[in-house]
Amino acid sequence: MRGVTRDLVRPVARTVPWRALGAAGGVGLLLAAAVRWADGPPPSTALLALRCAALTGGLGLASLLDDPARHTTAAVPVPRPVRQALRAALVAPPVALWWAAVLLLVPADLRPPAADVTLEAAAVSLLACAGAAVALRLTEGTRPGRAVAGALLAAALTGPLLLPDRWTLLVQPADPRWAASHDRWAGLAVATAVVWALSAREPLRRGRP
Amino acid sequence: MNTVVVEESPVPSAAAKGTGGPRGVAALARFEARRLLTSAPVVFSFAVYILWTVWRTRSSWDGFPALQDADRATQGGPLLVGLGVLLAADFAALRDRRRGTQEWFGTLVLPAGRRTAAHLLALLPVVLLTAVCVAAQFTWEALKPGAVGHGSPAELLVGPLTVLLLGAAGVLLARLAASVWAAPLLGVLYLFFLVLGTGPSGDTGGTAWLYPVVSTSGNSPFPSDLLGRPAAWHALYLAGVALCLAFLAVLVAARGRGVSARAGLAVALAMALTGGVAQSRGDSAELLAARERASAAPEKEQRCVTRDGSTYCAFDEWVPRADDWAGVVGRVRSLAGDPARDRPLLVRQRIEARYGLDSDSAIPASTRRHQVTVGTAWGGNRVPEFSAAVAGVLVAGSEAAAAELCDGRMVTVMWLAVGWEDDPMGTLRRVRLDDSVEGAAVVLAPTDPLSMTAGQTDVVRRLLEKDRDGVAAKARAHWDELTSPGVTTARAAELLGVPGPEKADSCEE
Repeated sequence: MRGVTRDLVRPVARTVPWRALGAAGGVGLLLAAAVRWADGPPPSTALLALRCAALTGGLGLASLLDDPARHTTAAVPVPRPVRQALRAALVAPPVALWWAAVLLLVPADLRPPAADVTLEAAAVSLLACAGAAVALRLTEGTRPGRAVAGALLAAALTGPLLLPDRWTLLVQPADPRWAASHDRWAGLAVATAVVWALSAREPLRRGRP
Repeated sequence: MNTVVVEESPVPSAAAKGTGGPRGVAALARFEARRLLTSAPVVFSFAVYILWTVWRTRSSWDGFPALQDADRATQGGPLLVGLGVLLAADFAALRDRRRGTQEWFGTLVLPAGRRTAAHLLALLPVVLLTAVCVAAQFTWEALKPGAVGHGSPAELLVGPLTVLLLGAAGVLLARLAASVWAAPLLGVLYLFFLVLGTGPSGDTGGTAWLYPVVSTSGNSPFPSDLLGRPAAWHALYLAGVALCLAFLAVLVAARGRGVSARAGLAVALAMALTGGVAQSRGDSAELLAARERASAAPEKEQRCVTRDGSTYCAFDEWVPRADDWAGVVGRVRSLAGDPARDRPLLVRQRIEARYGLDSDSAIPASTRRHQVTVGTAWGGNRVPEFSAAVAGVLVAGSEAAAAELCDGRMVTVMWLAVGWEDDPMGTLRRVRLDDSVEGAAVVLAPTDPLSMTAGQTDVVRRLLEKDRDGVAAKARAHWDELTSPGVTTARAAELLGVPGPEKADSCEE
């Protein structure tokens, strides 16, 4: 099994949608660079740029589990959770590097607490992946990324409008609710990771062709 | 079954009649319009837009909108709809590539340029629907009983034109970048640069007008002729940019061929440039002079009406609101003593327009006797603020004198100001800057604020807890002493029949 997994690295790496990830990463870097080059933006703009960059990361990662060959690979001996984990492991180092670059591009005096913003970005990324995994589990589609990206964008737009004040996620560092909101971000990250893990199994339905 | 044409087969029939052009385009546009209207991003963004707009419009401007401000308030929502349309139009224009049917289309009578034109024409129903929503929102504001002023059609056009612009941008994007990831990523850039906070700010001249929506607004509405927003030029600019993007998309799809598309692009470019240059000229000298006149010497610009012996002078658009002001003046006077009750007041509307639309400049207190200032906003907290100014002038003689009151007369002023309200304690809380009914606080007014000491607050609170008619009778009986300079808070409390402050207080504490 372990040997098979090692042999899988190369084919799985070939199916990871690097172009979508690269485009999303480029836009994220552009956002952070815009803050660096802007003429004395307030810290709230820097935070907004980092959150938008995290969102672009999420949009890119929504395509991570897109697999045109999913129906063919349903029968292979390596189970789907292993293959999804392999994909995640393959993109994790470049994504971490990218996020570090985004953080470093924002001038230090404008940068919000890095650990907390990283937690937000991680939660958004996990949300995107979990959404894709749920879509794969519940539907027959091979490329759920586009719909998941649309849903993520919609959630990012309407979440701040619809979430009641006591569950708010998007606060400024000076706000007394910053710490509590990051507890919620951590909860969201854990919950989405659990959902992803639970939905990674191969959907085997009775009567499926 | 994935191709558009196989499902509907409009093109073969058109081709059979030998009219591969306009009829085929129209048929494809109808089909794409139906799909666009029912696509998930469009349905979702319209649902959020309509719910949000209805929620906001129910209580916007406290029920007293100035329509020259209400027209620009219709511009924000379509930014969201535009994003949904951008995504949906991009996905629709990429559908053939995504499903591998693009090569098949090469055999059909409609060339790529015309197919793109059909995608662009399919935007029109969504644009029309936005226009209907904008019109409904504005009509709702205009039908509110407290509405004054005039809307501008050019400002109302901005919303639908924004949707057209973004939809055309989506189609162009699909022709430039054949990836479904381009549109969501562009959406994030659009949100960051155009919608969330980083858009145009204070400076309304020059490049700020290159943004689709420029919402300059301060606290108080301006008369229509002092707005100085190049709304018509901006609408022309937006239309020009939208058409530019549309013709560019057609030209990209047709690989640069097509005389009419090139001519259209030239015309659209001319429109965008004309609008873009004309809108960024900044405030004209005449406008600045008119703002100066209206701020420094409003009496030359205003019309006056008389109600119950008092005179109400306002800019033309606000004259219908004189009855609302007269109602407040009448209720305050009904609580006052005889000398004040019959004294004619002059209520003058004043604005500070010299620093532009988005400044929140204060208006200095009037030093003229028996003159009260009223602003251009009304409803909500503006009512008790005006009421405080009226009471201050009735007791102290002028607004400037009222702002400097620090003796027991302040008790009478505040009791007059809020005593007539249905919920006097709640009103007292709202009209004080710190939303409290205890301790010293600043009281808001249309011009300079008044100030209450902790002792005066205690006495006013006790007065408001007592029977209104009983206090009013005592106030009338002792009016002269209550309004004479130097009366102490303790004495005022004694005259009005409530316990005085625990310790002697003054404004210096």
